[in-house]
Amino acid sequence: MDANTIFNLILRLTIWLLLTNNFGLLNLAIGLAIALLLPQSRTAPVKIKDWLQVSWKIIKAIPQAYIEAIQMMLRPHNQEDFVRETVKAERTPGLIFLDIFLITFTPKTIVTKYDKQGWYEVHRVKPK
Amino acid sequence: MDSILIAMILALLIPIYEAWQDDDIWQTILAFTSIATKTSIMMLVISVSRDDWSIGVVAVIILSVGNAGLMLMAHLIKRINEA
Amino acid sequence: MIDILSYGLIILGIIFWFWGTLPLIGNRSVLFKLHSLSVADTLGSMAILVGLLLKVPSEWSLLLLAIITLAIWNTVLGYVIAYCASDNSQLANTNKHD
Repeated sequence: MDANTIFNLILRLTIWLLLTNNFGLLNLAIGLAIALLLPQSRTAPVKIKDWLQVSWKIIKAIPQAYIEAIQMMLRPHNQEDFVRETVKAERTPGLIFLDIFLITFTPKTIVTKYDKQGWYEVHRVKPK
Repeated sequence: MDSILIAMILALLIPIYEAWQDDDIWQTILAFTSIATKTSIMMLVISVSRDDWSIGVVAVIILSVGNAGLMLMAHLIKRINEA
Repeated sequence: MIDILSYGLIILGIIFWFWGTLPLIGNRSVLFKLHSLSVADTLGSMAILVGLLLKVPSEWSLLLLAIITLAIWNTVLGYVIAYCASDNSQLANTNKHD
């Protein structure tokens, strides 16, 4: 059991509990059984430190997204351009997905392309 | 609560108008995604105001499944344009 | 107190909706409209849902699921549309050069 498997189990169990809205012991057991029985994708093991870093970034991204939204409302952002961002080394597909998610979640930036060579193409809006 | 719903319906008219008047396929898809999200949020608001949770469950299912179909369609259109 | 906060969040969400949806009508690029739509449809709708959550805390599990799926799907959909639409426009540009 590496960090990835545990993270997957917790994610599945959370969705199950939210969906059924029943926190009884029996329902918890059923949810755990389903989470274990669903096919696991075999991915490279991830360091728990990376997951913690990304989770912290997700929590920070929510207020940041609202701040950017209010900035966009107060000052018109009419300039558009593309920039390239390099992907950090040794990222697993799951972490790359989360990186793209975080960049796209904030309203000023959207990833338009991910290249296997190791960069994202990011579209930005800027004030004049 | 009623005035909130009326404001939401007014906001919903904007993407409907855009979907009708623009011929470019990507602009139309953008308008449709906006319609999909807005209607399901409206369903949730209605389910709260009527205190009827069966409507709310349908809205959550639409929120989680409806967008997947639009994603598939975007990929399909891209393939067709390339061919 | 909680009533004021929840109505405030719902009204804030509706303001976001109008601000972000109005640029749809204009003559901008798909990507520019996507930026303002992510303000409206992701952040505005999330504000409305949090407002509803404060109003009816008894149904928190369903509304929390709605907030999570909304945030994930709308963002992923934004990325997919940006990818599909931008690739297409680049293709059109190279065709013009030929």
